[in-house]
Amino acid sequence: MFSETAKKELEEIRLKYPNARAALLPALYLAQREFGWLSPEAYEAVSSLLGVPKAITRGVGTFYAMYKHKPMGRNIVQLCTNVSCMILGAERLVDFLKIKYGLEPGGTSPDGQFSLVIMECIGACGTAPAMLVNDDFYENLTEKYIEEILEKYK
Amino acid sequence: MIKVTINGKEIELEKAVTVLDAARSAGIKIPTLCYHEQLEKYGGCRLCLVEVEKMPRLQTACTLMVTDGMVVRTETETIANVRRSVLEFLLINHPLDCPYCDKAGECELQDLVEKYGARAGRFTEEKRKVPESLEDPVLVRNMERCVVCTRCVRMCEGVQGAAALGVISRGGHSHIEPFSGGKFECEYCGNCVSVCPVGAIMSRLHRHSYRPWQLVSETETICPYCGVGCTLVAQVRDDVIKRVVPRIGTPVNNGLLCSRGRFGYEFVGSKERLTSPLIRKKGVLEESTWEEAISLVAKRLGEIKAKHGSDAISGIASPRCTNEDNYVFQKFMRVTLGTNNIDSTARTGYAGAQAFIENIFGQGSTANLIPGLANSDAVLVAGGDPTAVNPILGLQIRACARRGGSILTIGHVKGLRHYSPVELRPALFRETLALEGIVSALKNKKGLPGSNQILEAKLKDINTTPQEAAGACGVTEKDYAAFVDRLSGAATPAIVIGKEIVQSSGGNYKLFLLAAINYLVNGRIYLLSERANEQGLLDMGCAPDLLPGYRPLAYAEFRKRYETAWKTAISERPGLSIFGMIDAAKQGSLKAMYVMGENPVYNLPNSRDVEAALQKVDFLVVQDIFLSETAKLADVVFPALSWSEKSGTFTNMERRIQRVRKAVSREGMEDWRIIAEIARNMASKFHYTGPEEVFAEICKVSPLYRDLTYEEIEKGQSIYPYKGEPLRSTLEGISVDKGTGAVAASRFYLRLERPLFHSGTLSRKAAALVNIYSGALARISAADAVSLGVKDGDVVRVSTKIGSLELPVAIDGAVEQSVVMLTNNFEGKGAFGLAEYAVDPVTGAPVIDCNAVMIEKVER
Ligand code: SF4
Ligand code: SF4
Ligand code: SF4
Ligand code: FES
Ligand code: FES
Repeated sequence: MFSETAKKELEEIRLKYPNARAALLPALYLAQREFGWLSPEAYEAVSSLLGVPKAITRGVGTFYAMYKHKPMGRNIVQLCTNVSCMILGAERLVDFLKIKYGLEPGGTSPDGQFSLVIMECIGACGTAPAMLVNDDFYENLTEKYIEEILEKYK
Repeated sequence: MIKVTINGKEIELEKAVTVLDAARSAGIKIPTLCYHEQLEKYGGCRLCLVEVEKMPRLQTACTLMVTDGMVVRTETETIANVRRSVLEFLLINHPLDCPYCDKAGECELQDLVEKYGARAGRFTEEKRKVPESLEDPVLVRNMERCVVCTRCVRMCEGVQGAAALGVISRGGHSHIEPFSGGKFECEYCGNCVSVCPVGAIMSRLHRHSYRPWQLVSETETICPYCGVGCTLVAQVRDDVIKRVVPRIGTPVNNGLLCSRGRFGYEFVGSKERLTSPLIRKKGVLEESTWEEAISLVAKRLGEIKAKHGSDAISGIASPRCTNEDNYVFQKFMRVTLGTNNIDSTARTGYAGAQAFIENIFGQGSTANLIPGLANSDAVLVAGGDPTAVNPILGLQIRACARRGGSILTIGHVKGLRHYSPVELRPALFRETLALEGIVSALKNKKGLPGSNQILEAKLKDINTTPQEAAGACGVTEKDYAAFVDRLSGAATPAIVIGKEIVQSSGGNYKLFLLAAINYLVNGRIYLLSERANEQGLLDMGCAPDLLPGYRPLAYAEFRKRYETAWKTAISERPGLSIFGMIDAAKQGSLKAMYVMGENPVYNLPNSRDVEAALQKVDFLVVQDIFLSETAKLADVVFPALSWSEKSGTFTNMERRIQRVRKAVSREGMEDWRIIAEIARNMASKFHYTGPEEVFAEICKVSPLYRDLTYEEIEKGQSIYPYKGEPLRSTLEGISVDKGTGAVAASRFYLRLERPLFHSGTLSRKAAALVNIYSGALARISAADAVSLGVKDGDVVRVSTKIGSLELPVAIDGAVEQSVVMLTNNFEGKGAFGLAEYAVDPVTGAPVIDCNAVMIEKVER
């Protein structure tokens, strides 16, 4: 279910666009925030609030890779393993996350705290390796630094 | 004039069309795949690429509009190469399982590859594997075969308006899914199946039991279900209907069908069909010969007529039988038995409503063309969901919305919800106020036209204020006014009236108000009709007060006309209505009843009472294709031929006469023939060799059909008023009975659900429809579910004064609070078993909206 504040937000989003369909992308982001991922219920909620048929809403959502189509941990770690990050040890960090937190790429830690998504260059090549935790950005990562960072999100 | 040159050929065009259309008009073929004439243009498959001079790249002919002086080439080496590559790409992931695919033989991909090549692909990668989805009972989805042309999506959204399909994922992973990913849970029109060029969405009915080229015969006939009268093509192999498809260009449905029309035909081959006449012997129905049954019926009816008089016998005609069947039946009642006691279930709404409206606006005023709805600028809908009752008509209303027309609905019309209707949702029993408010407002806004004094005199006292009317609908005065403005501002408004209004308390007054609205906005009225030949049976004179061609029995000159034609005197006493027959049976004055193709014991309200009444009748004869609830009570049962096994005509709600044709054979007799046999056994001269002869007689005796023939009907020259004379009568008065409006207070009231997937008791024997909607439910609103403490699927006992049923709950957003909706389609679980009725004093329709209901949870 959408919270009342989220419903308000959705209404505001809707007003920025000429028609309901045009508002689908931000509406789905909002739903993702509210539901954690784009579950069938999330799609139905967006569809009924915007008055867009649900098959269409789902079609739009599945087109984009940045929407999540399975349940995610409470926090989303998006770690880059593209060239610069890789050269500076990103793959070691992937292994570290696996060993330390049981976090597989594309998976969720057993305690449900974190999900790991492997990214292709997040534009921080100069300060690689880099990652995002939810909307926060971290660079010059080391194993120890990652440990410190993730501690904050537990 | 626009001049274009295609392949060196000069083409002159009146107006700009696509290059594809221009080429086709000149007989030049351009291959297409995503293009479909019924659908919006898409330009996705790139098969129709052509070279256009002065344009840099190849262009898609299906989307490019011609301009003056354009020079186009459609067959060059470059184009051939491109087409081959496009097809090669399509085959990367295509399974090429043609030997196993039902589409093979009529697959557009197969044909294209055969013609344009790419016989062998150069890709060595593994093909994408997706298991065939058999989760749905009716539709099978094979996404390996899908070419992502999106025809199905565009059909479902842009034409059918269900928007149940979407393109899921992207790139090479794109495929088509209904929302659930498995079951379609849609309107099951099957129109996506019609447009899919490959075997990616197909019907499960008769799967793998035929090849398209083995469908040896194709019969164009009319759908047996509702009054829209869609043309359908029954395709047959080994004397079995293997599938039913629509055809583009047919007048009413133009390439579309609804779930009932497309998937509802399986009753024809049901194992439960009656095969032999049955006679009740020592209380048990036993098989007999035709001779024995026919002579027994003739003998018994003769005895009863002699002993108790003609009027101790009555007949119920059938809106599922042909005009020919119904004509012969009423003639049998009037000529052989000498009574006007003939009526039908059209009395439950359609007949009375039509008579009421046509009294005001003239005969034929409800005969309006269905496709015309799409061109209206406003459609007012009251009394039901047209997309469920008359689905193809409903599509025209959706099309109207898409073209910018206003959809104005009174009550909750589920099937139009996505069409931004302007809604008025009157509180229970307050519809009258809402309608009066519209009439008052229109009067003030537009003034009285002055052309109908009798009607206007009755409008004088209608002065409901906008406050009252808006209050009754729970909307602001501003919203109420907006509703009225849309209506009053419309130039070509249409008013669609469903049975819910007719069967509600004060129904005749509400009809009057709708008629008044129609008068004030100068609109046209459509009456929804639930049965294929409901109109036809009235035209044939299957009514206690009407002779064929709508000639009132009351006028001696009309009687005389038919007396001359039939060479017998016709009783001048008007007959009993269907409800009068039930009452007479209860009182014991009705001694015999003849029921042709109808199931009154189930299809009339207070059905247990009807059952008790029919049990009292000394001699009950039933003609049917199944041993219906009514047939089970009969003394003699005749097995009839079904709609697909005989020839004749149906008349749809537009009053278009259409040919019903035999598609498969079966032993037995048509309804009219059985009756003619009995008549002959009773010394009446009923000598017809075939339905043509019956029809010829109709056209001879009835002034409405003068000189009409099957040949003319086949050419489509069969629109009202044909070549004959409609009856021109002058309006003598409008009788209206508002009733008291008093309704006993109750927490819940019973309402009838008229589902898209069922129709009377016939659809029960159509396996596909049963699979889609398989059992009776008690539909209630979410709020009521909370207050009752029940969830979806919980079993509740729904009881009224006269009965109770245990049913699973379905929470339904379209149900108003304090209402429980039940269907009247499933065996032993019909809403009419719980519904008492009173007869509307003006329309003669049963009023069924006041049944108080108790709901309690059944603890398991
Ligand atoms: S059957 Fe009709 S409603 Fe269902 S998906 Fe196909 S086109 Fe849409
Ligand atoms: S299922 Fe058929 S109609 Fe729909 S996109 Fe695929 S190939 Fe086209
Ligand atoms: S709309 Fe009516 S006539 Fe047409 S296919 Fe459906 S049930 Fe048959
Ligand atoms: S490669 Fe990692 S941020 Fe660019
Ligand atoms: S038919 Fe023109 S692009 Fe598909």
